[in-house]
Amino acid sequence: MAAVFNLNHHASYVHWHFFQMAVPNVIVIIVMLAVFVAAIFAPFPRHGGGDSSS
Amino acid sequence: MSVSEDRSWTARIRGRAVGALPPERLLPDKQPSYVASWIYIFGVLSLASLVMLIATGCILALKGPGWWHFTGVGHFFNSMHLWSVELFFFFMVIHLWGKYWMAAWRGGRARVWMTGAVTFLVAIPCALTGYVSQQNFDAQWISTQAKDAMNSVGVGAFFNLLNFGQMYSYHVLLLPVAVVGLVIAHVLLVRRHGVVPPFELREIAERPAQPPEQAQQADPAQPAGPVPPAQREPQT
Repeated sequence: MAAVFNLNHHASYVHWHFFQMAVPNVIVIIVMLAVFVAAIFAPFPRHGGGDSSS
Repeated sequence: MSVSEDRSWTARIRGRAVGALPPERLLPDKQPSYVASWIYIFGVLSLASLVMLIATGCILALKGPGWWHFTGVGHFFNSMHLWSVELFFFFMVIHLWGKYWMAAWRGGRARVWMTGAVTFLVAIPCALTGYVSQQNFDAQWISTQAKDAMNSVGVGAFFNLLNFGQMYSYHVLLLPVAVVGLVIAHVLLVRRHGVVPPFELREIAERPAQPPEQAQQADPAQPAGPVPPAQREPQT
């Protein structure tokens, strides 16, 4: 089965002044930020058994 | 408790352990209502990733580099181990962000915060020693680069990243034991002190504003405005 991503080439980098980072790392960090924001604002499913507290 | 039980070190340890963590607090069947938020699940997701990491790592250690490099099943478990560590750090960093922004050290939870932070720091060399223990050209490249990094910060005399035996021992024994021990301490401290509650935003918003000059007269040492929730949090 062919790989989903072709890795047989040099890695791509984001380079801006002193900042240099591989594109996959940039993507992972952006996804982490997106998941973090989604975790704060996305509604959490509640069970019908009533609210529990301790 | 009888006199003999008072003198028994096992009885004293049991008494202190049960006093610090009663069974209903150690394994609760109810959680505070504020835990019903997605931001509270990343700790347990990190734990689940750690369990997968250890399970796949044990299998890799049993079978050896020839198996994980040259067989289909070995490739599968090697990939499982890699993606477990990717997810472990992914979830752990989001967990750290969430706890940092809700000031999870409030309410006497400083040790909970510190054990979590130290776990993160110890997990980094644990992962690095794994990358240099792969037994391939990738590991050689990473170890030479990491060797230069270690030398540049003055700790190169203590670690030889080109020494596979040393790095493998660090990766499969010393550092995992440290990580697991810290995680156990972290979870027990969370159970002892409870999950940190969110900031009381509504209470702050509804509190009548106090003129700054009155606040200064009342207590010059205190800044004007509402007291931060971190200071109002009762100690547990």
